[in-house]
Amino acid sequence: MNLRNYIIRRILLVIPVLFGVSIIIFVILSLFSPEQRAAAFITDVKQLRNIKSVIKTYHLDAPLYLQYFYWLKEVLHGNLGWSRTASRPVLEALFYFLPNTVELGLFSIVPIVLIGIWLGSASAVHQNRFIDHLSRTIAIIGWSLPTFWFGLLLLMIFYGYFKGLFPPEALSTSTSLYVHSPNFVRFTHINTIDALLNWKGSVLLDALRHLVLPVITLTVVQCALVMRIMRSSMLEALGKGYVTTARAKGADEKTVIKKHVKRNAMIPVITVSGYLFAGLMNGVVITETIFNRKGLGWWWWRAAVQLDIPAILGAVLFNGILFVLTNLVVDLLYAYFDPRVRLG
Amino acid sequence: MNSYLLNVQDLKTNFYTYEGVVKALDGINFKIEEGKTLGLVGETGCGKSVTVLSILRLILPPGKIEEGKVIFKTDEKRVDLLTQTEVFMRKIRGNEISIIFQEPSSALNPVYSINDQVSESFLLHRKEELCKKVIEEIEADIQKNPFFLKKAVYQIEEKIYRKMLKDPDAILLRLLSKVPILRRYQHRLKKQAKRETIRLLRKLGIPNPEGVVNRYPHELSGGMQQRIVIAMALACNPKLLIADEPTSNLDVTIQAQILDLIREIRKRLDSSILFITHDLGVVAEMCDYVAVMYAGNICEMAPTRRLFKNPLHPYTVALMRSLPELGKKRLESIKGNVPNLINPPSGCRFHPRCSKAMKICSKEKPETVEVEKEHFVACHIYPQDNK
Amino acid sequence: MRLNLSFVNAKWDDLKREMEPRIKELKFSFSRIKKSPLSLVGLFLILFFVIIAVLAPELAPPKYPHNPYRIPRYGYSAIPRPPSPEHPFGLTEGQYDIYYGVIWGTRTAFRIGFIVVGSILVIGIVLGSISGYYGGIVDEIIMRVVDTFMSLPTLVLAMALVTALGRSLDNVMKALIIVGWPSYARLIRGDILTVREEGYVEAARAVGCSDLRVILKHVLPNAIYPLLIMASLDIGAMVLTAAALSFLGLGAPVGYADWGQMVSFARNWIVGPPDNPLAYWYTITIPGLFILFFVLGWNLLGDAFRDILDPKLRRR
Repeated sequence: MNLRNYIIRRILLVIPVLFGVSIIIFVILSLFSPEQRAAAFITDVKQLRNIKSVIKTYHLDAPLYLQYFYWLKEVLHGNLGWSRTASRPVLEALFYFLPNTVELGLFSIVPIVLIGIWLGSASAVHQNRFIDHLSRTIAIIGWSLPTFWFGLLLLMIFYGYFKGLFPPEALSTSTSLYVHSPNFVRFTHINTIDALLNWKGSVLLDALRHLVLPVITLTVVQCALVMRIMRSSMLEALGKGYVTTARAKGADEKTVIKKHVKRNAMIPVITVSGYLFAGLMNGVVITETIFNRKGLGWWWWRAAVQLDIPAILGAVLFNGILFVLTNLVVDLLYAYFDPRVRLG
Repeated sequence: MNSYLLNVQDLKTNFYTYEGVVKALDGINFKIEEGKTLGLVGETGCGKSVTVLSILRLILPPGKIEEGKVIFKTDEKRVDLLTQTEVFMRKIRGNEISIIFQEPSSALNPVYSINDQVSESFLLHRKEELCKKVIEEIEADIQKNPFFLKKAVYQIEEKIYRKMLKDPDAILLRLLSKVPILRRYQHRLKKQAKRETIRLLRKLGIPNPEGVVNRYPHELSGGMQQRIVIAMALACNPKLLIADEPTSNLDVTIQAQILDLIREIRKRLDSSILFITHDLGVVAEMCDYVAVMYAGNICEMAPTRRLFKNPLHPYTVALMRSLPELGKKRLESIKGNVPNLINPPSGCRFHPRCSKAMKICSKEKPETVEVEKEHFVACHIYPQDNK
Repeated sequence: MRLNLSFVNAKWDDLKREMEPRIKELKFSFSRIKKSPLSLVGLFLILFFVIIAVLAPELAPPKYPHNPYRIPRYGYSAIPRPPSPEHPFGLTEGQYDIYYGVIWGTRTAFRIGFIVVGSILVIGIVLGSISGYYGGIVDEIIMRVVDTFMSLPTLVLAMALVTALGRSLDNVMKALIIVGWPSYARLIRGDILTVREEGYVEAARAVGCSDLRVILKHVLPNAIYPLLIMASLDIGAMVLTAAALSFLGLGAPVGYADWGQMVSFARNWIVGPPDNPLAYWYTITIPGLFILFFVLGWNLLGDAFRDILDPKLRRR
């Protein structure tokens, strides 16, 4: 009962954020002339031939505050405009590019969280010893690394020097042809998962080879954040009275750390993991651009360079919704990890 | 005083901080006899809690136990805890010596239920007994002639528990405890521990123990939280119970209840208690012996009644004068401040505040002398042994 | 005359007595900096870049004095040329001089870092103070705006803004300012809410201190350390994001001395000819290392500030 109220309240809190995101998008949109804006309303590129009628149908000459509602109506009906760079409507394009990004995200978030938590807690437990200095140094260098540069360096070494060991793009040409042939059923459009479902080892191997460098790039940069938060919250938890209590009970140090310290230290990490996804999307744009991996980030980059306004606005909307959804999940996890919120 | 349970000799603990070395314990000596209660009294910051943590070797860096002996009687043998292995210490902690901490709200882990936290003590030190009970339970279940599949499961369970009884750290068991479904074999053990927990809470007079065990610390009142902390400490019937200011953060009425509870425990169990407090009134009520502590030293130790009747050390005298009393118009305070332990006063650490200070006081540290039977004082006023 | 002097002396003693704990703390802080090698490294890195930025006209005399940020090119061939005595770091794609680019790029980086972080500090402090001090509906609106901005990834939002404003370095800075201020506003607001409850602020108001004075005298000094830490870390982060935008082709115009753009010049030359795959290493490595060390310097400095100034952490 309490948990349900908690969830309902969390869901209600989402509304102002989504409203704010819509305002931001609309403000950006209104910086363009009506002719440029037209693309954000149409559903078919042919409509652009008669721009006057588009302006009229979608009230692009109405006062701004009215235009907002006309625009919002279109958005709520799923019409996000036409993307020139993807040659399809924005909403369709989002789903078209999503699988490659989801794949990259899934494969990166696991090492980011695991390594970050492991390094963070190891360095807190051995504070001021070698492992602490080492992991803090690694973290701060990782945090300072320009993602785009690090990715290019990796490409230089593993693609150039090791003769194409880990190539760019999402699949090699031959595999890509096979994947799009009728012999291969695309269940999810996520290459690795489809390869498993089709039980095709060669496809899986090829997809994994193409994933290695982007995943390393994202992990090295994003890990630092998790590690840093884990370390400081571990240090805080280590100083708490219940840790002494556990030791005084006769629990061994491993149990004390694992059971009593880590569980408490996880709570702040969970709180920020919503922002972790936002950081991940930053990385995804750069990583996909460098490795020419045709996912959402790559598309947004092309859109930004070629002034494809509807696609860029779609990107902002997508990220707003992503943030809201991840934060809902985070709140639920939070309720699971911290019994104190279940009451409140 | 030969039947002592704990004998602390010349215990020195330092903390190495940026500002300098804090000499928190400067060679303290005291004994606790079996079945008796010793009160350790002193101002805040005089090293009472450090003493407790040093006895159990729970001092963390930058703190370090420098020297001394903590002799404890276990299995009819006397061992020096400071020279034992960590494994041995873990068997002592929570089992033979346990602590009631002063702040229940921080002593309890907020993310675990009461049951999880109290059961932990049973699971750590009473695994064997629990295993035996579980095996009995399984045997009873098998007797009931269940469906053959279920029977097979029971038999496997029994095997696992017999294995656990023989070798609780077996690799097989550790592997099993990592596998999600197989991990459920521990269920019976945990249920047994929960039963013990409920029994313990009931014994401590906690209303509705079946409900309380499933609650989380933040759902309980301060007094109730302190009872849970006491329950955790009592789980394994320790020989020595250390109560570190168990009532200092509680309301007065609840303080009285908690003191009653400890008194009753003392009556029922034959454990010794080391009662740490800054409240002389509580000491008078609870303790057989009192040790007065000042700035990392024990300055006087005596049976409670004798100490109250005839305090010998100037600090004790001053402490008594600062107690409120009926008919007394003004409370006296001790002039000066608690000394900085990085640069403690030379000689007797009390001499800058002492009304009877002599020349020698700032030069030499006084020896502890037995002035009367069982009445020890460390002060230059009383003739020193070696002279 | 003598009287006057004694008055000054008395004042001076007062001041000394008042400042004594602060001086002690400061000494302690410096001893911490000396003890921590990483923060020293950070300090040296920043100093190194400051020197480069100041001496840029000496180190790399501009070819176009009216526009020193334009990188001189030595030909129009696309193929990079390796380091030589005239061009110590070589020539990148389009024969732009890498040495000149990274030297003057240091100035660009400092300009971006200081302008962006300086502006977001001011905006953040003003809006955060208004929000925290007046509360009510104003607070509600400002905080919802903050929430909204913080829900979006920096780079994606900045990309969208630059697209809308037009491609230029100034617009990159504007976009970063719009993206960056909310976290400062939130920090200041939180501090004001805590401080507002404190007795001394009540007292200050009771004796008739103006709101502005209360904020300036009592609230900001308490929040200054977290602000310093954040600002130091953010100079690094903002330069990094600006470099990323330039790399993506959304920042400085072609040929402008900017590290991010210099890395993007190298994009086509990551892999050399088959017999020597690392032939063009200098085009990518050098500008990248400049970005890395610049950001690292600020991050190390911010971290050092955190260790030194955070009262919760410092004495561990």
